[in-house]
Amino acid sequence: MTVLGVLPVLAPPPGIDILGLLPEVILAGGFIVLMMLDLVTAPAQRGWLAVVSVVAVAGAFGATVWCWFDAATPRTVYFGAFAYDRFGLFINAIILVSTALVLMITPQYLNRRGLHYGEYYALILGAATGMMLLAGAGSLMVIFLAIELLSIALYILSGFNRTEPRSQEAAMKYLLLGGFASGFLLFGMALIYGETGHTQLTLIAAAITNGGGTVDPLLMAGIALLFVGLAFKISAAPFHTWTPDVYQGAPTSVTTFMSVTTKVAAFAALIRVFSYTFGEPLIYDRWKIIVYFVAIASMVVGNVAALRQTSLKRVLGYSGIAQGGYILIGVVVLTPAATWGSLYYLASYAVANIGAFAVITVMANRGEDLDSYASLRGLAFRRPYVAAAMGLFLLSLGGFPPTAGFFAKFFVFAAAIGAHELPLALWGIGTSAVSVFYYLRVGLLMYTRPQPDEPSYNWSRTSLSGGGVLALTAAGTLVMGIFVTLVLNIAVSAQNGIVLHG
Amino acid sequence: MTASANFPYLLALAAFLFSVGALGVLIRRNPIVVFMCIELMLNAVNIVFVSYGRFLNSEEGQVFAFMVIVVAAAEVVVGLALITQVFRVGRELDIDDLDELNE
Repeated sequence: MTVLGVLPVLAPPPGIDILGLLPEVILAGGFIVLMMLDLVTAPAQRGWLAVVSVVAVAGAFGATVWCWFDAATPRTVYFGAFAYDRFGLFINAIILVSTALVLMITPQYLNRRGLHYGEYYALILGAATGMMLLAGAGSLMVIFLAIELLSIALYILSGFNRTEPRSQEAAMKYLLLGGFASGFLLFGMALIYGETGHTQLTLIAAAITNGGGTVDPLLMAGIALLFVGLAFKISAAPFHTWTPDVYQGAPTSVTTFMSVTTKVAAFAALIRVFSYTFGEPLIYDRWKIIVYFVAIASMVVGNVAALRQTSLKRVLGYSGIAQGGYILIGVVVLTPAATWGSLYYLASYAVANIGAFAVITVMANRGEDLDSYASLRGLAFRRPYVAAAMGLFLLSLGGFPPTAGFFAKFFVFAAAIGAHELPLALWGIGTSAVSVFYYLRVGLLMYTRPQPDEPSYNWSRTSLSGGGVLALTAAGTLVMGIFVTLVLNIAVSAQNGIVLHG
Repeated sequence: MTASANFPYLLALAAFLFSVGALGVLIRRNPIVVFMCIELMLNAVNIVFVSYGRFLNSEEGQVFAFMVIVVAAAEVVVGLALITQVFRVGRELDIDDLDELNE
């Protein structure tokens, strides 16, 4: 027996390719290590768990960068269950950077709330692992398992404030509606599997192409149900009802995390499954109608409902629904420009949204989150830098130059016009104009001098890590808006690198 | 009867159970019962997977059904813990009462 035979890890059977899953394996390892470290760490030392988790995320990021250069020729690994391509790695990078930023603002927030339990970090890494698996999923089975891995971790995290009824309510709503959506997702998968005979995306695509000009009604029903399940995860209207409630009730550091990473990962799966697996013209013509109307509904519902809110967390929840609608334009339109436009949009959305929620997280004091409009009044006079950063994030979310958000919207709308989908672009531009009202309203409130008789709010001091996160996200928003090609080239290369055939 | 002759009935049964579960989620107010209805939906999907697997003579359907069973069990663990905790922070077990997060 050779040495390699004794160490099966070094000589895996064909089809098993640990390299293709390296970032996920590192993060999952961090998850397990943190679960065990939590048992032996004294409560006062739990800040170190945050350090360990950031190290695990940094390791996974390093592996992602290495894999990026290694994956110049994309392939599928684990018998086609997982795609090792630049598309998935681009999404991995967004998820990992977002996770690291959230971990940096977390310990301070949890300490103020008296919630500093070690399992928080393990759960965040577990959820991030699920998201990365979802981004690279090459089979319906992996999509399902990845969605459940991230969802179950997020159910616990939304209810992390065990004694706060609103946090419990958020967790309960998320759990029941999430389980409900999983049912639809699975029924859709079952029908797609049954009608094509495969669970691997590349084989499904081949089976549809070989189907020869007829559209199977059960297959279409399956595709529609699968879309419902995924639309729930990206909180697209009319499957968005849980979003504002969960965002408001969950601890703010958790909201920061889930509002960005879940959406990014679910969009990766949506693009991979719909644009690249169900792209067959006959099928596309049918599902396009559904996605088309869900995109418009999200833009309208998100932006109009956000106008009526008085809590910043809810405003950002509804704004996230609307942003999801804009990114859905990139799913409806099948051109490559639409795909890299959506990828750029996801990156810019991640940076600006993490920043905006980080402001609420960093400013939170012991008692409450201070996310009401009243508590924002006059922020600029007491915390000029924080207010300036917040203004920048809101400008980016509203799509003003010279921020990342402007080019994100530009690329997506231009892709829609380029594919002769002018109405979609017009809906997008029209609803963006509506969104300016509520983004500017928050900005104006921060720069309004408070009345002397108003109660003064106790904003927390910004810590070094909190300020660092705000500075990094603000810099990211500006850099992506000024040196556009920097991220754009990577997004285009990610789109080029997507696995099409196993 | 052979597997393929049974097949339409199995699919119809699964669709019926799925609808019962979905309807239950929409109209029942007790979170534990809602949760049971979600489990019913997942098990209806299992019937679809297994019967398609038999019909197509491929193992993937049965493997998928096992995955669903495992995940459903994990979801129950978290779900029941959360429901217990909602009850503990002083609520009636009725989802209509969970309306603090609304504007």
